[in-house]
Amino acid sequence: MKCGLGGVPTVAFLCAALFSCAAVRAQDGPDLAALEQTAQKRGLEWEALAKDMNDRVARILPCDPRALAAVNEVSQASEARLAALADYLRAVSSQAFAETAAARNLLSAEEKRAVEASLERADAGQEQTAVDTQSDALALSVKQRTSLEVPQKLLGQIAEMIRQRATSTEQQAAGADAAVALLRDLVAKFEARDVALREEFAASEAERARWNGYYAARRARAQIECSITQIGATRRQGKQ
Amino acid sequence: MTRCRLLSALACCATAILVGQTGRDAYRQAYTVWQQAQANLERDAGTGGASQVAQADRSAAAATTFEATRTAYFKSATEEVAQRRKLLRTAAVRSSPDAIPPAVGDLASSELQTVTRAINKFATDKDPAIQQVRQSMERERVALAALIDTIQARQKTVAGISAAAADLEQARTKTAAAFDQQSSLLSQTVAQMEREGPAWSGYYERLAQAIQTVNAPAPEPAPPVAISTNIAPEAPRDESAGRIPLVRYVGEWTYPVTNGIFHGTPPVAMQLEVHENNGHAGGTLVGRFKPTAGVTDPVVQFTFDGDFSATPTQKFNLMTNDGTTGTIELIPGPAFNLLEVNFQTGLRPNKIRNGNFILVKK
Repeated sequence: MKCGLGGVPTVAFLCAALFSCAAVRAQDGPDLAALEQTAQKRGLEWEALAKDMNDRVARILPCDPRALAAVNEVSQASEARLAALADYLRAVSSQAFAETAAARNLLSAEEKRAVEASLERADAGQEQTAVDTQSDALALSVKQRTSLEVPQKLLGQIAEMIRQRATSTEQQAAGADAAVALLRDLVAKFEARDVALREEFAASEAERARWNGYYAARRARAQIECSITQIGATRRQGKQ
Repeated sequence: MTRCRLLSALACCATAILVGQTGRDAYRQAYTVWQQAQANLERDAGTGGASQVAQADRSAAAATTFEATRTAYFKSATEEVAQRRKLLRTAAVRSSPDAIPPAVGDLASSELQTVTRAINKFATDKDPAIQQVRQSMERERVALAALIDTIQARQKTVAGISAAAADLEQARTKTAAAFDQQSSLLSQTVAQMEREGPAWSGYYERLAQAIQTVNAPAPEPAPPVAISTNIAPEAPRDESAGRIPLVRYVGEWTYPVTNGIFHGTPPVAMQLEVHENNGHAGGTLVGRFKPTAGVTDPVVQFTFDGDFSATPTQKFNLMTNDGTTGTIELIPGPAFNLLEVNFQTGLRPNKIRNGNFILVKK
């Protein structure tokens, strides 16, 4: 499908619709602010529990079920925090990728537009040549028919208008190439942003696994502390 | 006003067809048609006559079509471009560094210090149970150390995001400014094009008038001028400056079977005959309109006469076959073979009282 400006209006309409769809998709994604807020809330909940976990557990006897429950509570809050964070980062990535796709589409359309701009520059040049030829011919005819002086003056004004427009199209064509180069660089930056987001997500997931590993080790320690206490008590009972 | 509407309708029809056809190709095609229509017009204007007037009319129509087609295309392109460049106007999305509690790293480090201290405390204790606890603490320490590594790695990626997002924002702002300038230049071009259309119409009108100036009866016949390269002295000026050749009015005219142009009641068939004798005009019009509310007799038939004037619009008195009087205007059309007719009669109950349409020369 051709998305350039030279396409039939139907194609141009479809292209515009696709651009709109991409934009709408990017806008209609999950509510990032709400997801971020949830992640922050879960983070605060976890932080409140985690920072005094050791103090709380230290005041409970090893085999008191509240000891293991305290570790489990923090572990669950940690998992809830990290799950909310993953949801948020996943939504950010999804929206970012949609943006990058739209930027690539824009680049493709603007590259075609730059070609159109250079064709328009050529067209304006052709029109300028044509009107200059007309002016030259009319200048000769005026010598035969003085009544042609008025149209000659008008033709001169038109030639000046076309010259001005040719200058505009010249600037436009030159600027279009430079703008496309900037856009190409921008697409690369969008892609770099996406790579950074992917890396952040991967690192966050690795951290999630490590937090789970730590809490598993912490639970294991609580269970060992309880088991050795019970062994000690059994030995004491046996001696009696 | 009515005349303008009718004449512009011709150009608009052609424009609508071309715009509906394609984009750039359409206006380039219209440009080619225009250039062909006006070929050598200026060269021949010094010596030409009626055929150059007709050529000027054709060129004016072709220029109007070209300008309208091109302007429509560029306006559409401008809107399309503005729509898709909206992407550049909004900041790019990035993850917020605030989504993670800042104390995460400190908390893990604090846990590591606590467990390390406990491990050291039990280091010299030989009790097997204590050693078992110490080993579990060692596993916890290893888990925390690994966790701290991943926290640091993740913090580096957050810094990477911040750098990438800052780069992206800077590039986006710069690119948006460049495309804003492009949009501005495009709008400027469209505005310039919109001025060119009326300028060309005015030019061709004045050109046709200038050519006719010499074509009117001259006091003395000018020596024939063979070709434009042979530069002749100034052509004799005619006293009846601005007079349209009689051939633009005289003759037999008919309403086209299809695609007729009219204003008001639609004609079905029209036949007009105009003759001239020593500057005096006479003629007949016979025709039929589509029946409309309040009109039971849609047939019209009248004769008219009067003297030709020096103005382009010729106005004559008419008399219908039932004796009602009125006036008729004959106005040369945009092309040589087109004539606009505008008539009005006195009160004629249930009959047509006025009509406005363009006829084609037979």
